Amino acid sequence: MIQPQTYLNVADNSGARELMCIRIIGASNRRYAYIGDIVVAVIKKAVPNSSLERSEVIRAVIVRTCKELKRSNGIIIKYDDNAAVLVDKEGNPKGTRIFSAIARELRQLNFTKIVSLAPEVL
Amino acid sequence: MTPSSTFLSLAGPGVPVSFSGEMGHPQTKCSPKPRKVFSSFSKKLLPLQRHSINGLNFKRRNSLLSFAFGKEANDNFFSDVGEDTDDMYDELLSNYGEVVYKRKDQKPASAELDDDAESLSFAVELATVASEVKAGDIKVLFVKPLVYWTRFFIIATAFSRPQIDAIGSRIRDRAEKKYGKIPSGDTKPNSWMLLDFGDVVVHLFLPPQRAFYNLEEFYGNATLVELPFENEQPFRNEGAYGLLDDAES
Repeated sequence: MIQPQTYLNVADNSGARELMCIRIIGASNRRYAYIGDIVVAVIKKAVPNSSLERSEVIRAVIVRTCKELKRSNGIIIKYDDNAAVLVDKEGNPKGTRIFSAIARELRQLNFTKIVSLAPEVL
Repeated sequence: MTPSSTFLSLAGPGVPVSFSGEMGHPQTKCSPKPRKVFSSFSKKLLPLQRHSINGLNFKRRNSLLSFAFGKEANDNFFSDVGEDTDDMYDELLSNYGEVVYKRKDQKPASAELDDDAESLSFAVELATVASEVKAGDIKVLFVKPLVYWTRFFIIATAFSRPQIDAIGSRIRDRAEKKYGKIPSGDTKPNSWMLLDFGDVVVHLFLPPQRAFYNLEEFYGNATLVELPFENEQPFRNEGAYGLLDDAES
């Protein structure tokens, strides 16, 4: 459950370290974002000498949430952090590699590019 | 936040089992009866435990169980597991076997091979279509041993966005006409166009993007599939390699 003001870790090597969600893309009055949703976020921490800077506004796809993700077969997946992957307006990831495991629901939501860069898909 | 510290828990509907990289305290809520089954055949099951992925978890659970038995041994251990239950278990074991070797709904090896061959012909066909529209440096990777979610990757370079669009629409048409498959993925021309046919995933890159994402290196352990048109037109390959070298340098 990601809402505005939620801090997110960054799960790729784009150069940002920490994000803060400022808007959820979707309906006009949407409260929460879950895995596979796009949010507008601001970079709160960035790696020095990278192309991205602090206080830059970007778009990101949520890939891990503390809120559990339920599948129809009864499996429940919950991670211990909230993490997102930076994307541009076309949907291409800004980093070249994704860190740690992500859920396969991203593929059904048309983020196969993120899935194909990930080391492990649950 | 380092990736290794990420904790993940999966819970099935029946028995919630949590596991993590740091090895916390695995807790299982087993009812007393299955415990006894487990202990009475634990010697026979031992090879299975060794082969299982989270063997460490099993060992811990074992020690937990033996402790429980130490406590329970006084009152009802010997009385419960009598000869009747032994006979019952023997009968069950003779009917269903001692250990679970594999799921029953799995396909036989020949069916898997058939499926692979079908996807392979589909992938090679798509690669041929891409080469007809002058895509450069086409590679077909067999990624099934590495990732579970697809079988083949086709990676190709196009040199402009209109060309990406042309290759994408040509591939889409051929797949729909000949195989009846409709891809998900990008619809607009993009610097990295991805067409997802389920068991075949097509990546079309512009040269800078191809060097940037470097998918071939990421899937370096995948086996390369030989393509029929590779040896026929050496002049086209020369051109493609020349351009790719420029992009990489």
